[in-house]
Amino acid sequence: MYKYDHIDQTLVDQRVIQFRDQVERRLNGTIAEEEFRPLRLQNGLYHQRHAYMLRVAIPYGLLSAKQLRTLAFIADKYDRGYAHFTTRQNIQFNWVELEQTPDILAELAKVEMHAIQTSGNCIRNITSDAFAGVAADEYIDPRPICELLRQWSTLHPEFAHLPRKFKFAINGAKEDRTVLLCHDVGIELKKDPNINNGELTADIYAGGGMGRTPILGSLIKQGLPWQVLPSYLTALLRVYNRFGRRDNLYKARIKILVKSLGPEEFARQVEGEWAYLHNEAKQSKDNFTKYEWERVAKHFTKPAYQQLNTMSDEAIPAAATEAERGAFTRWLKRNVKSHQVPGYASVILSLKPHGTVAPGDATSAQMNAIADLADQYSFGELRVTHEQNLVLADVEQSKLLELWQAAKQQHVALPNIGLLTDIIACPGGDFCSLANAKSLPIAKAIQERFDDLDYLFDLGDISLNISGCINSCGHHHVGNIGVLGVDKDGEEWYQITLGGEQGNDASIGKVIGPSFYANEIPDVMTSLINVYVEQRTTDEPFIETYRRLGVSPFKEAAYKNNGKHSKGALA
Amino acid sequence: MNKQIIYFPKDGKPTLIINKWQVWDGERDAGGIPNLDHELHKVLVPFHWWITHHKNSDIIDRANKGEVGVWFAADDDILKHADIIEEGKNRWPVIAAHFPIFRDGRSFSTAALLRERFAWTGEVRAIGDVLIDQLLKGARVGFDAFELRPDQKLDIGLKQFDLISVTTQNSWRDQRATTVAQLVDR
Ligand code: HEM
Ligand code: SF4
Repeated sequence: MYKYDHIDQTLVDQRVIQFRDQVERRLNGTIAEEEFRPLRLQNGLYHQRHAYMLRVAIPYGLLSAKQLRTLAFIADKYDRGYAHFTTRQNIQFNWVELEQTPDILAELAKVEMHAIQTSGNCIRNITSDAFAGVAADEYIDPRPICELLRQWSTLHPEFAHLPRKFKFAINGAKEDRTVLLCHDVGIELKKDPNINNGELTADIYAGGGMGRTPILGSLIKQGLPWQVLPSYLTALLRVYNRFGRRDNLYKARIKILVKSLGPEEFARQVEGEWAYLHNEAKQSKDNFTKYEWERVAKHFTKPAYQQLNTMSDEAIPAAATEAERGAFTRWLKRNVKSHQVPGYASVILSLKPHGTVAPGDATSAQMNAIADLADQYSFGELRVTHEQNLVLADVEQSKLLELWQAAKQQHVALPNIGLLTDIIACPGGDFCSLANAKSLPIAKAIQERFDDLDYLFDLGDISLNISGCINSCGHHHVGNIGVLGVDKDGEEWYQITLGGEQGNDASIGKVIGPSFYANEIPDVMTSLINVYVEQRTTDEPFIETYRRLGVSPFKEAAYKNNGKHSKGALA
Repeated sequence: MNKQIIYFPKDGKPTLIINKWQVWDGERDAGGIPNLDHELHKVLVPFHWWITHHKNSDIIDRANKGEVGVWFAADDDILKHADIIEEGKNRWPVIAAHFPIFRDGRSFSTAALLRERFAWTGEVRAIGDVLIDQLLKGARVGFDAFELRPDQKLDIGLKQFDLISVTTQNSWRDQRATTVAQLVDR
């Protein structure tokens, strides 16, 4: 895990002082709210429906047990005893006081954390694969590049006031777990013997994003040597900063620029700027150096793994008692992933127990307990996933049973990873001032409806994503089933999309038709799922059945009760 | 206009200096640059105005006396007019880039281009909606003079520059600390 040196530490410490001064000036009235807003946003401080919310960065999702304990401490001392893990590898505190945020930042700085650029129109926290460094299908550990780019983007002076927010994701595995194509810039790392002497290179995708105009990113550059990323990305962002639209909030994202110019023309303009930046004289100054690589990469070496033999799929559950074996096996199937190192596995702790308040929430007691689990079973480290769950990446297979039992105590052992109830949801109308509708009660009602684990298990992989408004924080566009809160004449309605997908076959879902009342949603889900169950062939996942049949049978089923419901919210 | 500006030369310290340049918006230009008040003869004219008028003899006269500089609007595509800027390098004692509103960051890129690409070595002044909390960023992209919005407190402004003493990306002023460390370590 990356460790700050005096440069990083000085930066975050000074940043606390800077922000404290800004807050003081806000409180004594020398900065107007309008002018303070971008400053606080660049420090992750939102003003939500009821209170200030602070979003803290978890760069590329990596977290130490010690850091998690600090987050728990902050939740207790400055918030209401819980916090919310987001889809972008951040954590949010929903109830903080403006006056106290500098103190919170000071607590964070003590454990090498910060809230810099977790919001605002700047380069946001860089996300990556939650299984980076351990995934069996990984070809390159992306974390040194993530860290180098984290540093490069931190307090970048030229790009502090972009037309809109700017999100990077970085992938280095066969399976894309980063939703690469839904980012302003997606970086796919490669090592190809035919390019750059087999050294690390990057393919650059630009112009992806969700929101009201969902677009998948386009490939604009291939085989870029990793050393030149600073100059290339400077060129790219400079083109965006100069020519991104600023007249209309909804058209200011880079995806609109790339779309209106066309990816080829956008790539050409970036190339033009880069050709200038990338001349020999500058190259020596701007390029990432071997020294810098070593400075960060030395922190991403493998932990002190034991020499173990891989345990067979039969041997692991054999340790459980007969009474436990069924449940344990289910958990092994859904929540445990294969690992690069023999005898180890990665474990996903579900933050989606059925019927709880919000997907991704964790109480301070849970955070402390999970930190202990990380210390005990996974070298004191954790990861945050895009699906709002937590990962213990390096667990000995022989200890899985013990860990499962301990995780059950904390209610984070539900074997629903990748299943219908592993819902991604934004805070929606319960917290967010931009919401058109609530999303948390919808998530809860669906979890209640599909509470039967055997049934869920039989349904297999289905992603269900919920957003409370078109900003798409809940990534509904890339859910196999997406639910979007919409407002009609001041009432809360929900629109359904089908066919979205994240991963290598990323696609944007299609709206099936008119929207529904909240209390209709559980029935609509049941109807959609029934079509799948009736029509699927053996082992065919939901998304495949949908692709084979098209939208019609699903649409018909969803609307079959139309008009029979009286309108209403959920009980 | 402000009587004082913050001046922060590349290898110096931030100080307050008397403002000798008046920003003219290019309006009311029936007879060229109007007579400006305060007995100040030095005028920053809009770049687009310069493009159309810089061949006029009275403008050439005043430019030769060192009384004319230009300012770039946030939406000026300065690369399109590279030849005029190259020529202007010998004429303008000062150039400026304008912030129509503090949260519009285009002029940060303008300043970076003027320094990196046009190798402009004279003063680049930030004008318009320039607030205290933009100073540090501005200083790093290439600005070395700041005419703050009149309500801003100059004494607080002067203290902004050393708030963050390390950098993790190259800028006009300095090489990122993460490579400088190499020199120290080895
Ligand atoms: C205070 C609550 C929040 C506010 C005010 C907020 C605001 C926004 C806005 C305005 C957008 C639209 C961006 C656009 O049009 O491109 C957006 C998108 C997004 N937000 Fe949030 N958000 C909040 C909470 C969250 C949470 C809790 C998450 C994660 C669970 C999240 C993750 C995202 C993501 C992934 C997007 C999609 C961006 C894209 O790719 O286009 N946000 N948010
Ligand atoms: S999708 Fe809308 S309602 Fe949900 S968090 Fe984002 S802005 Fe708020």
